[in-house]
Amino acid sequence: MSKLKPQKEYEKTRSFRFQRWLGGSRDPYVGQVEMQPQTPVELPELTIRERLRDSQAVRDKVYDIENNKKLNLFRRIYVLAAIVYCAGLAVILLAMVASLPPTGEANRPVNNEVSARYIENGLQETGAVNIVTGMILDYRAFDTFGESNVLFAATTTVLILLHMKKKKNKEGKVEEIESDRLLEPKQDAILQASATVLVPIIILFGIYVILNGHLSPGGGFSGGAIIGAGLILYLSAFGFEKAKKLFTEKLYKGVSFAALTTYCLAKSYSFFTGANHLESHIPLGTPGAILSSGLILLLNICVGMVVACTMYTFYVMFRKGDF
Amino acid sequence: MSVWEWIRLLLGGALLLCGLLIFLIEMYGVFRLKYVLNRMHAAALGDTLGITCSMAGLMLLSGFHFSTLKMAMVVLFLWLTSPVSSHLLARLEAGTNEELGDHCEIYEELKVLEAELQEQREASMQSETPDEEEKE
Amino acid sequence: MEKEVSLFLQAQRGLFLVILIVLGLLFFAALVRAVKGPRVADRLVAVNMIGTMVMVMIAILSLYWQEEYLLDICLIYAMASFLAVIVLSKVYIGIYEEQHSEEEKRTKTDSRKEDKSV
Repeated sequence: MSKLKPQKEYEKTRSFRFQRWLGGSRDPYVGQVEMQPQTPVELPELTIRERLRDSQAVRDKVYDIENNKKLNLFRRIYVLAAIVYCAGLAVILLAMVASLPPTGEANRPVNNEVSARYIENGLQETGAVNIVTGMILDYRAFDTFGESNVLFAATTTVLILLHMKKKKNKEGKVEEIESDRLLEPKQDAILQASATVLVPIIILFGIYVILNGHLSPGGGFSGGAIIGAGLILYLSAFGFEKAKKLFTEKLYKGVSFAALTTYCLAKSYSFFTGANHLESHIPLGTPGAILSSGLILLLNICVGMVVACTMYTFYVMFRKGDF
Repeated sequence: MSVWEWIRLLLGGALLLCGLLIFLIEMYGVFRLKYVLNRMHAAALGDTLGITCSMAGLMLLSGFHFSTLKMAMVVLFLWLTSPVSSHLLARLEAGTNEELGDHCEIYEELKVLEAELQEQREASMQSETPDEEEKE
Repeated sequence: MEKEVSLFLQAQRGLFLVILIVLGLLFFAALVRAVKGPRVADRLVAVNMIGTMVMVMIAILSLYWQEEYLLDICLIYAMASFLAVIVLSKVYIGIYEEQHSEEEKRTKTDSRKEDKSV
């Protein structure tokens, strides 16, 4: 980083003059060109009053809700138009569904060689009993990596737009903007008592769904959503102060970064080995056991953690604006 | 062997039909009763007895599986959470309805509590208003 | 290859079908209550009821098709409807309190202005 120049030296450089010309703070003609002596424009009070009256008349006409013809017409036909639109959309979609080719037909575009290969050799090559998980986390692992990155990008965007750090008053007190969040009921004893029992159960169930990705339907995405829901329940029951200790900004950054980096490092060897289908030498194990199917368990855990962090961050950002 | 299966089918089916009957009663109650707090009494039928009878019937019909245990877990979870939801809904309704006295009795202790809450709210607002007065 | 579906299985499936149809009709009835209800709590109660009925329907379907994993979805549905009711009721109470305090402030400043003018 360069040192700051003193202001007087900076005013002699060309870049300062360029910026001033760009910004338009100084008139380039004054003092350089022969001009008549300039006097500031004085508006008589009559014109000022007239202009104010005209702008007020325009504003009254624009914001006049009762006599607005278009708005009244819209209100009258709104219900009918809504019903017609919804019914029309439903009819179009149902007609489209009815004209699809029946399942199992040989000419259907879905029944090509790729899907046949996935279904026939899926269990052997990936080791996962659940072919869908084998497909999204083994054959098509990059697509899932892209999806996790999309979640991460979405959370970053929400953080940029909605993250409000608290400003401190002159006395040093933290200013609280009055909103509906401050006035909602807190410290509800019944809710707290039930949350102490339920939150561990929900998180445990979420972990069960994540770990079972390759054996039964579930996997990282649904398990992560369940864990996120458990954290939201904890937040609703115990308030923001306690939840801040559980889930801080550092935790969020650390977990997302670690999960995505692990995913990337686990699957990016194929940049160097090409499409030669050289496997990482992790044994596939017996299908049906938990510790089987190579890297799928690890990738499920990574995806699950990213999704849980995303869900909780969205809720906190939209509700409060701060972690 | 098959006699036991038929008995199981009959018992399970009877319990399932009982559950359906309870859901029908619940629906009728929700439409017939007049105020939200009364309708919640009817709606709680389905959450507790309705789903218990239905799930008990389904457990009998499915036999000894892991899925039987999962159904029991579903019922337990619902038993734990349904009263909490009803409590929060009742709190919402009682806290936001100004004409609560028309529908149900408000006890004297509640009025005293409400007066205290009002005083607290006014005190907190008065501590904020000096800033507004200075600005004005 | 024709499979002989035993009478037992047919009876079971027939029973399930009847119950599913009746529960579906009750679903629409609850939807009517959700649209009609004058207060907010009416609608939340109707949505909770719909969730419970859908849970029974999913459990019946899991036995109809002999797929065990559908019961996980049942549990998730219970959790989701519980969370929805809790979060929504808290938000609504907060909004009501906010409007209430704004109105009170407005009436107070009005009364203060009246006092000042007098």
